[in-house]
Amino acid sequence: MVSDPWVISINAASCDDEQVGGKAAQLARLHRAGFRIAPGFCVTVAAYEQFLRDTKLQLVVQMELGRKPFGELRWEELWDTALRIRNRFSVANVPLAVAQSISRAVRLLGPRTPVAVRSSAPGEDSAQRSFAGLHESFLHVVGEEAVLESVRLVWASLWSDAALLYRQELALNPLTSRMAVLIQEMRTEDRSGVAFGRDPRMDENDRAVIEAVPGPCSGLVDGSVDPDHWLMSRATRQVISFRSGLREDGEQAAPLLQQSDLESLLVVVDQVESRLGWCPDVEWTGRANRLTVLQARPITRAREDPNDKRSWYLTLRPDKQRLRQLGQRVAEQLIPELRELGDRLAAEDVEGLDDAQLADCIQTRQSLLEHWKRVYWDEFIPFAHGVRYLGMYYNDAVHPQDPYDFVGLLRGEDMLASQRNQLLRALAQQVQDSAALQRALQQAVHEPAAANDFEWEAWASQLPALAGGRQFLKNFQTLLCQFMDVAFGGLRLSDEPTTLLRNILELASQMRPPVAHAASDDEEAIRSLEQRLLDAVGAARHAEAREVMRLARLSWQLRDDDNLLVARLESQLLRAMQAAGNRLKAVERLNADAEVGMGAVAPICAALREPAQMPLSLLTFKPVDPRSTLRAPGEVPRQLVGQPAAHGLATGNVRVIRGPQDLGNFHAGEVLVCDAIQPMMTHLVPLAAAVVERRGGMLIHGAIIARELGIPCVNGVANVVDLLQDGEGVTVDGYLGIVTVGPAEFRLETG
Amino acid sequence: MVHDMADEPLLESAASGHPSLGDRPEDDTLRNLVARLVREQPYAVLCTQGEGQPYGSLVALAVSDDLRSAVFATPITTRKYRLLCDCDHVALVIDSRSHSSVDMMQIEAVTATGRARQVSPGAEYEQEVNLLVARHPQLKLFVGSPTTALFHVDIIRYFHVTRFQEVRQWSLTRG
Repeated sequence: MVSDPWVISINAASCDDEQVGGKAAQLARLHRAGFRIAPGFCVTVAAYEQFLRDTKLQLVVQMELGRKPFGELRWEELWDTALRIRNRFSVANVPLAVAQSISRAVRLLGPRTPVAVRSSAPGEDSAQRSFAGLHESFLHVVGEEAVLESVRLVWASLWSDAALLYRQELALNPLTSRMAVLIQEMRTEDRSGVAFGRDPRMDENDRAVIEAVPGPCSGLVDGSVDPDHWLMSRATRQVISFRSGLREDGEQAAPLLQQSDLESLLVVVDQVESRLGWCPDVEWTGRANRLTVLQARPITRAREDPNDKRSWYLTLRPDKQRLRQLGQRVAEQLIPELRELGDRLAAEDVEGLDDAQLADCIQTRQSLLEHWKRVYWDEFIPFAHGVRYLGMYYNDAVHPQDPYDFVGLLRGEDMLASQRNQLLRALAQQVQDSAALQRALQQAVHEPAAANDFEWEAWASQLPALAGGRQFLKNFQTLLCQFMDVAFGGLRLSDEPTTLLRNILELASQMRPPVAHAASDDEEAIRSLEQRLLDAVGAARHAEAREVMRLARLSWQLRDDDNLLVARLESQLLRAMQAAGNRLKAVERLNADAEVGMGAVAPICAALREPAQMPLSLLTFKPVDPRSTLRAPGEVPRQLVGQPAAHGLATGNVRVIRGPQDLGNFHAGEVLVCDAIQPMMTHLVPLAAAVVERRGGMLIHGAIIARELGIPCVNGVANVVDLLQDGEGVTVDGYLGIVTVGPAEFRLETG
Repeated sequence: MVHDMADEPLLESAASGHPSLGDRPEDDTLRNLVARLVREQPYAVLCTQGEGQPYGSLVALAVSDDLRSAVFATPITTRKYRLLCDCDHVALVIDSRSHSSVDMMQIEAVTATGRARQVSPGAEYEQEVNLLVARHPQLKLFVGSPTTALFHVDIIRYFHVTRFQEVRQWSLTRG
């Protein structure tokens, strides 16, 4: 093969780390040392740099990463950043000279020969660190166009969320990172695997680990095939232990490798170690004289370092197999269990329990809540990546101008929050239709000095006599029991009927009717997006594409429901705590103004169990509402920058929602400013002129709901809750991600 | 009270404002010096005014090949947009501080004065967008936003400063 500045044969003597990256340089060294490797070539670092220069993508990357201090980017924002960069890479033209060199090299390997396209970044792997799995690799790529496409995506993976976070942790400057690409003929033998020169889970040792799978090594690397596993003595070549992998049929088959195969692998490990000077982790395929080394890298100490987070960053990369398993478990088992549990707890008569039983009940509820919070982190959050998986899948296939087109595929799901919001709209409609009801609601929300003084029962008892009152009451009670039995900021929303009545009045009075999507239009839009995806992937992959869409939709729906269902458990724990608190207060064993919150479980239970105990004194309830401000005297923010999360331009007065106590103050036409729109407050969004959030991300609740309603949303605005003040006029530009404070006209500097 | 900037006089030839220009080597003409500086520096300070109050903003700029016009974009929610709507007299300051910050005497600066007007969608708009995006590809989405206004500046005069005090002036002919 003729080498040029862009492409260099892996056989070339000049392959070095700076030019072709660590992975390719190691393979080239092994080849020179006489090891059998798959034929191939490298797309050099220079080619990547030329691509960046020609397309000016470096500027795009700088702009994306410079939006705000890197350390302040939340993972979701980083994912968005990575998605946008990836999209720009995938639609950019590879410089003609580079493309021609790559095409020529592909033709030389064989125009229809399947190849592996892998990352090979300079300084990628060393004994201290490993980027294994953080950059992308593509297997079984066939044809010049497909190879070019994969090369672009491998280049873009230098900017993946996981790779960016890992670099940040290692204090490597992402902007100076570079990437070469290794392209090799796919070698698929009947056995493949990995061989570690020592057990990577232990410190210095003489034990080698060999793993083998039938067929290609990719099954082992991505975890889809359970390998046979040997622990061996490097000195004696004896097998210390063997564990057979589970095959698909569930049967334990004969070991995939014989003693002679294992010994040949240990010879390779020895030779690699002596030639390259470090104890290797070798990826291989084939046996005996057909043994091919696919990759060799130093065993990282990082693998044993409990502080190393690479494995956690790897979980950020969604994997279809894992999503499929999680989806099934979450949808068929966990969510129904959680729903049933909530129903069961809500039906329990906690008032009827004696003191000891109530203490047991509280402690059981607390353990259940803790258990489900763990499930939330371990299973619900990872399953939320289903939406992101669809994003990557759709963009790779369709190459849309807007990398968020795929979000349109998620519409129209029957979420708990949508059902609740529908019921709220129906209640608002009933209020609009009945003047008597409207007056009653106004009386309820205006007359009491504080929400706590409101005599709900007495007020509700008058409703059936009013026009439309009976139906309203019925619906309102459904709302309280079915949808508002959730905890938010330490309060049960069902305990705050006046807050809800205020929201309903606002909904009824808003001048702008909610943007109603004709259902048929929505369906048509979804169908058209689906068709775009199906056309792009081709008939052979229709089933796969449909499954990716199914998983994403399920993930999106459950991601919202799970929040509400866990918040319901918390609400039910609070209910039992309140019953206990009231009981103890009634016999003066607890101060009357005590706050009986989640932090008081242990003392309350102890007081219930020990009637002889001294009266308990707990802290008084104080609204946690320090109206802190980050504004220095004389300093006023004029323009705040975030992420344009939903298009549109709107002006309005700020209403900061810090917790449940602020929900009832929200007026139609205000700009909703908060840390993050929680599923418990999405019903406010239709009232808002615009949404501004500290938490950033195109796929977080606030952004998606605002997009559905056609309301501008800017999110990822650092410290916004402490920078803006209630009543301040702002203009929210959801196209550019800018929040301008104060009127558009400004006072001239006259003094 | 500062008065509105008077209309820039339109002089007849590029060389007439600087009699010695014709003696200079070809690559040292004012035109070439300005061309080089605007080629090297992608940003400028835009100077606007309103009711006697001057205001300066940093903008990403592209200058046409013939140096007769410049283009930049701004969100419509900004001060500079309001000011530009009220008064079209503008100045643009482009300098080489980022390259020569250590040696003050090496800093080169150009002040371009002229008239700015918002460009509405149409053939000219496309042309101007292409000019700006070719120079600043990272601004593609910004420029395409419905809340971004595109401004064309007809440049009337260039003032070129070297050695901090040496100023030459080049007026462009319109016709």
